[in-house]
Formats: sequence, structure tokens, C-alpha cells
Amino acid sequence: MTWTVLQVQFQRLMHNRVELLLTFVVPIAFFSIFALIFGGGIGSGTTPRIKVVAVDLVGSDASTQVMTGLRKSAGLRFVRDREDEKAEQSKPLDPESAQQLVRKGIATMAIVLKTESDATSETSLHADLLSDSSDQVASQVVVAIVAREIMMAEAEAQEKEFNVFSKPADAADADSSSGTGDVSTTEAETADLAAGEPVTLIDVIGEGKSNPVVSMYAAGIAVMFLLFGATGGGGAFLEERENRTLDRLLSTQMSMDQLLLGKWFYITIIGIVQVTVMFVWAQVVFKVNLVGHLDGFLMMTIVTSCAAAAFGLFLATLCKTRGQLNGLSVILILTMSAMGGSMVPRYVMSERLQQMGLWTFNAWALDGYNKIFWRDLPPASLAPQLVVLMTSALCFLVAARLLALRWEAN
Amino acid sequence: MSVPPSSATVTPVDAGSKLASTSERMSAEQAANKAAEQAAQKIQTPAIRIDGLRKQFGSVEALRGVSFSQVCGQRLALLGPNGAGKTTTIRCLSGRTRPSSGTIELFGHPIDSMGVRDQLGIVPQEIALYGDLTTIENLRAFGRFHGLNRKTIKDRVQWALHWTGLEDRAGSLVNGFSGGMKRRVNLACGVLHQPSVLLLDEPTVGVDPQSRQKIFTMLDQLHRAGTSILLTTHHLDEAQQYSDQIVIIDQGTVVAEGTIDELIDQSVGRSRMVRLRIDRPLDRLLPSPLSKLGRVGSDQLSTRIDDVSKRLPQLLTAVHEQGYRVCDVDVSAPSLHDVFLHLTGHELRD
Repeated sequence: MTWTVLQVQFQRLMHNRVELLLTFVVPIAFFSIFALIFGGGIGSGTTPRIKVVAVDLVGSDASTQVMTGLRKSAGLRFVRDREDEKAEQSKPLDPESAQQLVRKGIATMAIVLKTESDATSETSLHADLLSDSSDQVASQVVVAIVAREIMMAEAEAQEKEFNVFSKPADAADADSSSGTGDVSTTEAETADLAAGEPVTLIDVIGEGKSNPVVSMYAAGIAVMFLLFGATGGGGAFLEERENRTLDRLLSTQMSMDQLLLGKWFYITIIGIVQVTVMFVWAQVVFKVNLVGHLDGFLMMTIVTSCAAAAFGLFLATLCKTRGQLNGLSVILILTMSAMGGSMVPRYVMSERLQQMGLWTFNAWALDGYNKIFWRDLPPASLAPQLVVLMTSALCFLVAARLLALRWEAN
Repeated sequence: MSVPPSSATVTPVDAGSKLASTSERMSAEQAANKAAEQAAQKIQTPAIRIDGLRKQFGSVEALRGVSFSQVCGQRLALLGPNGAGKTTTIRCLSGRTRPSSGTIELFGHPIDSMGVRDQLGIVPQEIALYGDLTTIENLRAFGRFHGLNRKTIKDRVQWALHWTGLEDRAGSLVNGFSGGMKRRVNLACGVLHQPSVLLLDEPTVGVDPQSRQKIFTMLDQLHRAGTSILLTTHHLDEAQQYSDQIVIIDQGTVVAEGTIDELIDQSVGRSRMVRLRIDRPLDRLLPSPLSKLGRVGSDQLSTRIDDVSKRLPQLLTAVHEQGYRVCDVDVSAPSLHDVFLHLTGHELRD
């Protein structure tokens, strides 16, 4: 009997392609995606380079050496936005504009090199690192790289200075006590530098935010479930087709256009409510400032829900059965969520994978929510995200309509 | 209880209407006459006329030139085994399947003309309802889908609840209903907009005899109100009892068409089937002309006779003379089953 049960179960599995897919293909797909995200490893050729801008307010040999060293660093990529590039020749970057680049998300960090006087009125190189603390990995990496470059430059400068005093010809005429004193001072300074901190990390975005990254996770999870909800709504459409209710509806005065639009509006509204409830919860429990960003939030939520609903209908009309839809949607949504940053922040991914992530809803939606809640940017800055998501919504709706033609009459 | 008025029903003009002037009275009379003429014309025009309907699904030819017509206010049964083409015919009528060729007219108008299909009520074979909605919610939804206004929906939903006998279950979820109750709601959702022609695809599939009876009682009420009813079935008794006209369809073609009497006359004739049970199995073949009555080893004898009063005593005597005692005699009039067997050469369930 047990053997027969086993046999029957295997037979059922072999007859169910969706279950086979979910059992064997989905785990492999996910393993591959996460292997692509993390498998490259930090420090490997595919590790994302941190986008930085740097401002040298000192202009000394040492600071120039630091800047050169930073530019050569494999972990950093120097960026400037287009407008700055145009004006680069005429208007050099200043700390304020560098900070703006970080706020806009064009650069993850801004490095401002300046001099700082210590208690003995000796000046030394110092860097203010204006950071976007949402990328916690970048902050740590840049702090280490900049500190190393400053210390190396300072040490080299001091070595040159020491070498000057240690030359025998000079030493004969020189004030030996002074020279000895300089050496001891230099050693002390080196010790100070080694013990002290040549860099100051300044959080230019997360300051004053009670729970800086929770809005990112709220958005990530919300978008993922928005997609699941949308395909669930699309699935109801397939159920209607399977139990012939669709046939019956189309035999009434209702047209397929009206039916699809009705479904689309419903899934969109449910999506808007779903995301809003989630963010209200995030405001109440995790102090995410929803009320302060209501305009941008509504714009992003409406457009993201529209796009997700259209995507759900597209998938539903693409599939023949609810089972097919379930299998396909699980694979697609989890893949998109993984690549688009709903599960793992995109900044830990390789640049190539980050680029690939831009083909997902999640990436655009999360970028939009990030602009609102994290960067405090005005709604006008959401234009690229809104355009991409709305265009996707329209494309998927048209595709769904065309696919539904086959259900109208055969 | 209110019933849906047929489009063919003439609205009577109240003789005691308070029309002030003669001209107004004349005008009302003219309008009534015109309406009566139109109604009469409509009655004369077949409710449904199908001509040379063909439908090919890939290499399978589901309909091979089906032609028949249904008189206004008539109950027509489309009878045939599974796969005969009944549902495809209904789907062509409802617009859900595009015919490969042929014409379909509803009250003289091509079925695809604007607004013509609005006169159709369609009740599919499946329970095509929202199971997770209540009865009243389903009825309201389908009322809206049929384009009824709020006031009409309210009235029609009340009527439908009464008609189906589900007033006390108005607020219950359809998913929790028995098969028969679901069928009744399924039926009600198809007639809310008071269609002139009602298409029913196997309306009693999977229901118990009581529910089946209830469904046909409901259909009778619609029929009495003038609604033309076209139903598909593979139940011979349903077709025989609840239809005025029967169209037998087999393998995508119409095999015969007519009333039950006409079909019998056209096929098996008016002879009666006589079945005899004898006291023991036949131990030898009976001599001619009785040789075809039964086979060796069987205690059943059967034959067809034209004049029962004259031929039955002769038959009993002949069997008795062969040394057998007749235990039971069964004389039956030809049925639709006999007609079907005669016309198609196989049983309905084959």
C-alpha cells in the first residue's frame, strides 16, 4: 500500500508541470540569482564600485596626492552629474554642490579634503565624508580608503621633511636640537594621525531620521507583495475563464475592454490600499515620515499599483490556467524582487546586475520611494520613475488586451 | 408572481384611459394597432433561424451545416449525444463561437447586428456564478452586466428570488448551495433582463429529480409568459415532456426535426412494441413467422405490431401453441428513444 501511495504521488508529480517547475527549477533559479548577487564577492572584479565625488579645498601636494590615490582606487568611481560636467571647466565642485550630488543619489559619498588644526596649531589633512548612510557598506569602505590615502600622503610628506633634516650636509649647519625636535614632533603627529581620525563621517541624508532604512524595506516588501496581489487578481480572471463565468459575462452587454479595465482598476485600488496600509503601519510603529511625504508617496503608489495591476493582467492573459499562472508568477516575482532590490539592496550587487535590475518594476519603484523617504527630494524628481512605470503599465495593458482577443470568440 | 413579459406580448391599451380629446384617442389607437401589427409580425417571424451553420475546430468539424428554426414562443429541444454539436450551436448563437459559415437570425435580424443579442438570455451548462458572493449579490451583479437600471434591478431581483424559491437564501453564499439551488440561481441570472429567447445548455446536469422538476416548472412559467426557450439536452424524457419541437442532432448534422408525433410518424410509425416474458427460456428457435421474436436461451420475446386489438391475441395464441406460458405482457407506444435509435442507428448514450 505504501509503495502504491509513493507511486501515485510520483505519477501525479510527473503529470503536473507547474509543480515540477516549482520543485526543481525555482530553487535553481534563485540559487543562481543570489549567487550572481553575492557570489562575485566583495573585492572581486564584479564588486560594485562606490560612486563618489571629491572636493580638494587644500590644493597642497599632499592633498593632490590623496586625490590621485583615490582616483586610482579600484573600489571608487568618480561621478559628476551632466550639468556639473558641462560646467566642470568653469566651475569646480564645492562642498555644497558635492553634498547635493549625494542627496540626489548621483554619488553615494562626497569626499571633502581640507586642513584641520590641532591643539599645537599644526595643520594636517582631513577629510569630511558626506555620506548616504543607506549604503552602510559604502561608508565603511570609503572611510578606510580615504583614511589610508591621507595617512600615506601625510607620512610621505613627513618622510620628505625628515629626509631634508637628516641630510648630512644640512645637518652640519642646522640646528640639531631643532631637527631632533622636528623629528620627535613628526613622530608624535604620526602617532596622533595613527591614533586619531583623519576622516569625519557626516550623514547628510539620514540625519534626524528615527529609523533610516525602514522606509526602504517597507517599500521593498510592499512592491513585492503588490506584484503578488496583482497576479492573484489576474488569477481570478483565469478562474472566471475556467468556470465559464467569463463566457457568460461576455454574453451580456459587457465588452472585454470594460471587463479588463474593471479588473485593472480593482487590482490597482487594492494595491494602493495595500501599500498605504503598510506605510501607515510603518509610520505608527517605525516612525517613517509618511505624512511629510504624502504627495510623493501617493504619486509613486498610484503609478506603481497601476503598473503592477497591468503586469498581473498581462500574466493572467498569457497563461492558460491558474496553475500555470501560479508557477510563472512565483518565478517572475521572486526573480524581479531579488534583482530589483526588494530582498537585497541593489548597492551590494555588481554594477552589471544593478543595470539588469532596471528591467524590473521593483528597481524603479524602490528608487522612487527612496527619493521620497530617504533623500527628501521633491515630487518633480520622480519623473523618470513615474514615466517608466506608467509606460510599463500601458504596455502591459495593451499586451493583455491583445492576448485576451483569443478569449472573446473562437 | 410576476413573470417576464415576452417581447412578442402586445401591451394592452387601457380602454378607459383618460385621453381628453378624440385626436389623442385616435393617436393611441393607431399606436396600439401599430404595436399589435409589429407583435404579430414578430410572432410570424421565427425567433431563431439557423441556416447551413458550420464550425470547424482544426481538423474536427463540429457542425456540418446545421439548419433549423424556432417559432416565436415555442419550446425547442436540441437533442443529441455528447459531442453532437449542441453546445457549439448554442455558443454560435450566443456569439461565443464564431461560425465557419452559415447564417443565424434572431427575429429576422442577423445575430451579429447591433443590439440583437440583447434579446437573448443565456444559461450555460456550467454554474457560471460568483460562488463567493451571495444570491442577491450575484443577481444584482448580473442585472448590472445586462445593463439594467437600479430600479429595474431591484424589481427583477425580487422577482428572481421569488421565482427561484430562494427568498430565504438571498443572503447566503452561492458556494454553500446544493447543485439544484446553484442551477436555479444560474438560471435566474440569465433571465433578469427579460429576454425574448432563452438559451439553456443542459440546464439539469447533475441535479436531483426534485430540483429538475422545479427547474422545469420555472421554465414553464417563462414559456407561458411568451418566452421562446431553446434547450439542449441528452435526456430523452426532458425533450419529450418539456418541448413543443425537437431537433435531433448527431455528429454535427440535424437528423430530424419536428414535434414528437411527427418524429414518430416519420421514423418508427404508429406501431406498438410488445414485450412478452415466458415461463422458461426458449430451448429452440420458434417456427416462422415467430422466429424473430426471441433468441434461444432467453425468456424475453418482443416484436412490433400495428393493430394491437387484433394482433396481440393472435400473438399470445401462437406462443401458447408452441408450449410456452406467457407470464407478462408489456405493450408500449413508440418513444423518442425508439425514434433516436431508428434515426441514428445508435443509443443516445453511445
